[in-house]
Amino acid sequence: MRFLIAGLFEGAVFGLLAVGLVLVYKGARVFNFAQGEFGTVAAFTVWALLGAGWPYPAAIVVGLLAAVVTGLIMERLVVRPLLDASRITLLVATVGFALFIIAITVLAAQPEPRSLQPLIGGEDRDILGAAVSPQRMVIALVLIGLAVALAWFFNRTNRGLAVLATSQDALATRAVGISVPGMSRFIWGFAALLGGIAGVLQAPIDIFYPGFMTRTSLVPAFTAAVLGGFTSLPGAFLGGELVGVVHSLGLHVLKDNWNVPGAGELTLFVLLLAVLLARPQGLLGKEA
Amino acid sequence: MALLEVRDLRTGYGHVPVLHGVSFSVDEGETAVMLGLNGAGKTTCMLAVAGLLRRWGGEVLFDGRPVGKHQDSRAMTRLGVVLVPEGRHVFPGLSVQNNLRLGAWPVRRHPRKVKANTDRVFDVFPLLAERRHQLAGTLSGGEQQMLALGRGLMGSPRLLLIDEASLGLSPVLAQQVFQAARRINSEGVTVLMVEQNAGALSLADRALLMQKGRIAMEGSGADLMSESALRQAYLGAPA
Repeated sequence: MRFLIAGLFEGAVFGLLAVGLVLVYKGARVFNFAQGEFGTVAAFTVWALLGAGWPYPAAIVVGLLAAVVTGLIMERLVVRPLLDASRITLLVATVGFALFIIAITVLAAQPEPRSLQPLIGGEDRDILGAAVSPQRMVIALVLIGLAVALAWFFNRTNRGLAVLATSQDALATRAVGISVPGMSRFIWGFAALLGGIAGVLQAPIDIFYPGFMTRTSLVPAFTAAVLGGFTSLPGAFLGGELVGVVHSLGLHVLKDNWNVPGAGELTLFVLLLAVLLARPQGLLGKEA
Repeated sequence: MALLEVRDLRTGYGHVPVLHGVSFSVDEGETAVMLGLNGAGKTTCMLAVAGLLRRWGGEVLFDGRPVGKHQDSRAMTRLGVVLVPEGRHVFPGLSVQNNLRLGAWPVRRHPRKVKANTDRVFDVFPLLAERRHQLAGTLSGGEQQMLALGRGLMGSPRLLLIDEASLGLSPVLAQQVFQAARRINSEGVTVLMVEQNAGALSLADRALLMQKGRIAMEGSGADLMSESALRQAYLGAPA
């Protein structure tokens, strides 16, 4: 049970990142390999501002703004000029942008591990046998709040509907009077905000360094998104939690008992294969 | 009075010109039908008027006021010029109701207008009311065309541009589409239709024949129907 609980809390950040991936995919049909770097930008900005004596809340706001600005720059300079290119070209471009951001953070902050103080301090709490830090609880609460907000946004608001429309038919979207470039900006800015939130919440869990979100969380987040069906936001949340639980169980069973190297990654890979073979469209894969 | 006036319109794709100086007008309250063969430039003309394709030259006046070259489809829908594109282009993964909601984008901040437009669409196309929760991609071709027309009406258009609505439909369904266009026009919406189906001429207060990027002939629907050589050459009908 304790591994289940630990996995659920661990999976929350994968879910957050996966939602950003799905949002971009729904809006632009692109696999965004730079999604993790929005989190890295936010984490480094918060770290720099805290070092300069800023209060934590203000540093977080500016950190998230930095992530959003990074997303908007990416949309304008990388994505929009390549909108008519093949999806493979665009995918490679997102990889290039991620490497570019990693290089910038190395230049600006040196490739050293750093740490960020948690949003809420205090001892770990015992939840059904699992030791859960207050920081992990904050992540889970943020994930739940965002899940509710996003469900409302896509089901109840005109703008949410317009995001879905943009992904389905650009000509029809323009014909009804919606600005496709405006929607594209919104989608990338919003996805970057989600990536930034994930980075700011994940950084205090352990050490962080240039490219840490891509290194530690992007592959599990992609797995979560694929498990969820890659077009389903609830699926991305669910996929994140599933990935967290399986990762946690895999570490326990394979590593703690038999000292299998790469046990967490191995179990994720097996999980991904099993779901793709049994249900290729993912667990909740369908259009809204 | 002319609601739409197009003067010497020139445009194309990349460096390839398609329209070489198109001029025509459509009066408020009438139905105009533009006919021509494939490649004549009809759809290009509609896209340019709807703000979906940049004009290279010429003028477009709507309600007596010039429309700027940089005014895109957002600006045109706000003015009341709405395009129902060729090939239906419904949002397949969204429900009928959500397709209609998106059609109301230009008036989305006026809930009463959105409600009134929805009621009006369901009145014109009762089938859409029955299928409001069905995904648009699962509708038949004829039903999707009804939805595309209904979505166009949701934006409170003063001028509805309908591009090849009968394309790919059986003669019976094509007639239903034409009847719907007549009904829409009778409710005060000016209609400009692009068609290859000669049956649309029966609706036309004004008929335009486009050839190689220019208006080759203009008159009433009856005038064009009576031009036997023209019927043979452009409409494929017997002389």
